[in-house]
Amino acid sequence: MKIKVLTVFTLAIALFLSACGKSDADLTKAVNDKLAADKVTGVTVAVKDGVATLTGEVGDITVKNKAEASAKAVEGIKSVTNNLTTKPLPVATPSAPDPALTAKLNDALKTAGCTGANVAVENGKVTVTGEVPAAKFTTCIQTVQQAGITGIDNQLKKGK
Amino acid sequence: MSAQEKYQSLLELANQNGTSYELTEGDNGTLVVTGVAPSEEAKTQLWDEYERLDPEFRSNDLILNISVGQAGGSGTTYTVESGDSLSKIGKHYGIAWKSIWDANRDILNDPDKIYPGQVLKIPV
Repeated sequence: MKIKVLTVFTLAIALFLSACGKSDADLTKAVNDKLAADKVTGVTVAVKDGVATLTGEVGDITVKNKAEASAKAVEGIKSVTNNLTTKPLPVATPSAPDPALTAKLNDALKTAGCTGANVAVENGKVTVTGEVPAAKFTTCIQTVQQAGITGIDNQLKKGK
Repeated sequence: MSAQEKYQSLLELANQNGTSYELTEGDNGTLVVTGVAPSEEAKTQLWDEYERLDPEFRSNDLILNISVGQAGGSGTTYTVESGDSLSKIGKHYGIAWKSIWDANRDILNDPDKIYPGQVLKIPV
């Protein structure tokens, strides 16, 4: 009987300890390790009462999301406050000056069978007008977006 | 909401399907995604996602400039030697280790585990 009581008592203690979980310092280390394993860098981790706060600047939003998912996956982390920012993006440069870009676009559109589409280029920004068959629409927009442009105003109509 | 937030599922998809990309900012906050997809199929997936997020591409806040890299075939390859790492190989070709990793997801499971004799596609 005594052994049984002891067993129950031991189990209760074990349960209590596991529920109590790791300390914030342990958790901070665990999150840092997980981030390193997942190849996420540039993140500073602070854990308080099981809540992880992520700060720092990362490459893009996918890294921000990944860091959050990694931190959440650590056992003992109750929630994650994601204060990561994404680094400012470099300014896009057009692949060619406007006249050359216009010529390139017209060539590419012709090759793609988008003869109904017209383009006007200003500082790398392209305004697309005209009408192309509905079946060609996506192809024509792709063609324009792949020319190395830095802005778009899509007014292209879907015809029959 | 920033364009990055709006199109995050598209960027996640690019990471998953092995498309390497760079982000720049174009006219008036336009997100310009310039990248190389490993296959025509991967590129189509991205355009399908773009169309789902922005039907008829009318928002004018994203420029998706994805070309298709040569998979295998005529592309450059590199045979791993003892002591190599992706970053070391990347340095040799002047490209990021991640772009080699992205181009070889089909044969690699872990960027830290490459073995002598493995033939890697080099996206240059």
